Amino acid sequence: MRISTIALANLRRRKGKAVFLMSGIGIGIGTAVALLSLSGSLRDEIGSQLDRFGANIVVTPHSDSLALDYGGISVAGVSFDQHQLSDADVAGISRIRYRKRLSVVAPKLIGTTEVDGRKTLLAGVDFNSELRLKKWWRLTGRPPESPTDVLLGYEIARAVSAIQAVPGSVANADRATSHHAAMPEEIRVTKEKVSLGGREHRISGVIGQTGGPEDRMVFAQLGQVQGLLGRPGQLSVIEVSALCKDCPVEDIVAQIKQELPHANVSAIQQSVRARAEAVDRLSRFSLVVSAVVLAIGALMVFTTMMGAVVERTKEIGVLRAIGFRKTHIIRSLMIEVVIISAAGGVGGWLAGLLAGRLALPYFTEGGAQMELRLSLAVFAVAVAMGTGIISSIYPVLRASRLDPSEAVRYV
Amino acid sequence: MAFVVVENVSKTYSDQESGIGVPVLRAVSTEIAEGEFVSLMGPSGSGKSTLLTILGAMNHPSQGRLLIDGIDVYALSDERRADFRSQYLGFVFQQHHLMPYLNAIENVMLPLATLSMASLEKRRRGLDVLEKVGLAEKAKRLPNQLSGGEQGRLAIARALVNDPPLVLADEPTGTLDTKTGDEIMRVFLDLNARGQTIFMVTHNPENASLAHRVLHIRDGELELATDSRARTASRFSPAI
Ligand SMILES: Nc1ncnc2c1ncn2[C@@H]1O[C@H](COP(=O)(O)OP(=O)(O)O)[C@@H](O)[C@H]1O
Ligand SMILES: [Mg+2]
Repeated sequence: MRISTIALANLRRRKGKAVFLMSGIGIGIGTAVALLSLSGSLRDEIGSQLDRFGANIVVTPHSDSLALDYGGISVAGVSFDQHQLSDADVAGISRIRYRKRLSVVAPKLIGTTEVDGRKTLLAGVDFNSELRLKKWWRLTGRPPESPTDVLLGYEIARAVSAIQAVPGSVANADRATSHHAAMPEEIRVTKEKVSLGGREHRISGVIGQTGGPEDRMVFAQLGQVQGLLGRPGQLSVIEVSALCKDCPVEDIVAQIKQELPHANVSAIQQSVRARAEAVDRLSRFSLVVSAVVLAIGALMVFTTMMGAVVERTKEIGVLRAIGFRKTHIIRSLMIEVVIISAAGGVGGWLAGLLAGRLALPYFTEGGAQMELRLSLAVFAVAVAMGTGIISSIYPVLRASRLDPSEAVRYV
Repeated sequence: MAFVVVENVSKTYSDQESGIGVPVLRAVSTEIAEGEFVSLMGPSGSGKSTLLTILGAMNHPSQGRLLIDGIDVYALSDERRADFRSQYLGFVFQQHHLMPYLNAIENVMLPLATLSMASLEKRRRGLDVLEKVGLAEKAKRLPNQLSGGEQGRLAIARALVNDPPLVLADEPTGTLDTKTGDEIMRVFLDLNARGQTIFMVTHNPENASLAHRVLHIRDGELELATDSRARTASRFSPAI
């Protein structure tokens, strides 16, 4: 027989009321969990969408000369620039305050060259960062290692007869259902060397058809291209990827502009950003709705506890009379409240997860996962207990202040 | 000094509607010795329960002092007074006030719930007092599975479990028929015979006269005390 024995016995006796309170808190917590985990998953999905889109900030030189087109981005013409970008600018970008938020900084020099006698766009890149940025590239072969290794775009490779289709590989049923519009063709590299501006280079790999500008380009190491084009240390464009979900892209742009005053810095505003905004609004809405539902739950706890105090006046008076302190009464009632709200929190968390999971397909384009976050469970139980305890403080204090002599009075 | 000293105790309740003070006890003084059995009689509304709850350390008098075992009870803080009740007092209420959702042994152990004592020891004590009132076999019964007399005895057992120097009972036989009332009185007399100090409010003159001393209260004032102890003349055999 301890104080908790009394609390537990009371819970057992008033099962209906306990279940009522539990569901009140549970519904509030469930709503919060469902909405929060839903918007969390949407946020994750947008994060990975941003990942797939690649760069979201592009740095180009100020220029009024003829532009070459690279992936929808105007790249300043090669020879007439006043303000060239240089290797030093890459270092400049890595000095900005938000440098930790940058996942890839990919510098490039783009010019024209002759590949086996054909005039072609040549890009000098840092393969390490470039391949991280262009996640959609499907390489046949290996990433270049030595300075004389090159990657060929699909159409160039065809033009110089460097590849053959692998027979029978096209009709791959699994791949046909994937959401890549152009079905990738399996190819085999059949040529080892290619001449680049008159010098021999090794073909280390071919980029599968993308439908983008890289199909008609050749990629080599940045230093090598700078040498080939006679433009040491120069760059035509730096692509920057700031891929964190809540990146302050505008701030990053401003910081890069400050660091590189001679350059054009622009954020690529994708439709993804509009979606991100919608999700932000959903999260805010979720918070408001959860708060309202929780407040209703709290009010339920409050009124039920007030009722319980009236209902138990005699009982509490007897306990006080036989030597229970005020603090013992408070403890006994609070044990009940904590058990009820913790159970409501766990139940609400489970129900909310389930509801969120069921609702998820209606909000996403598929592929979004609902992670089991321990932090959300802890949060749910903590908020449930907080709500229960806070809304019981007044009724419980009132109970503890009951005058025992009046409570046990026989009228 | 006597074990219990009631010194010029007055109590005035303020009327809930008018807020005017209604005097219920006027300068009551009396003493109870250790081992004494005192009963209090008086018409309904004369202030019996008020005096009992004041003796019970849970109803602050408007004036006067209460000393129990030399302790000025109402000089203690509220929480300390709760501890005092737990150490010194056992209550038997008019309606017994048993917890309907706890079985007999659990009801009896209730006053021990706040004490740091091994649960085995609590159970042992609970069974001991159940034995004393003859309910050891019914330890697992819920109160509504007991007869009226058994419920009364259970309430007494609860009042005894903390081994209190003073037992206070407010009309313990009030709701019972004569036969079951006698059953309760038998327990009280038995306890008193073993040295238990008892203060009992009652309506029933026969039961009152079983005590060593009968106090009469009228309009909040004590009348002259009668030294009765007419037990031998009662329907109880001296064998108890
Ligand atoms: N808490 C209280 N507040 C106001 N009046 C009270 C209170 N308790 C008792 N009374 C009044 O005091 C008087 C004495 O009550 P009580 O001591 O219960 O009498 P008894 O037990 O002798 O019947 C009654 O008139 C009762 O209405
Ligand atoms: Mg009374």
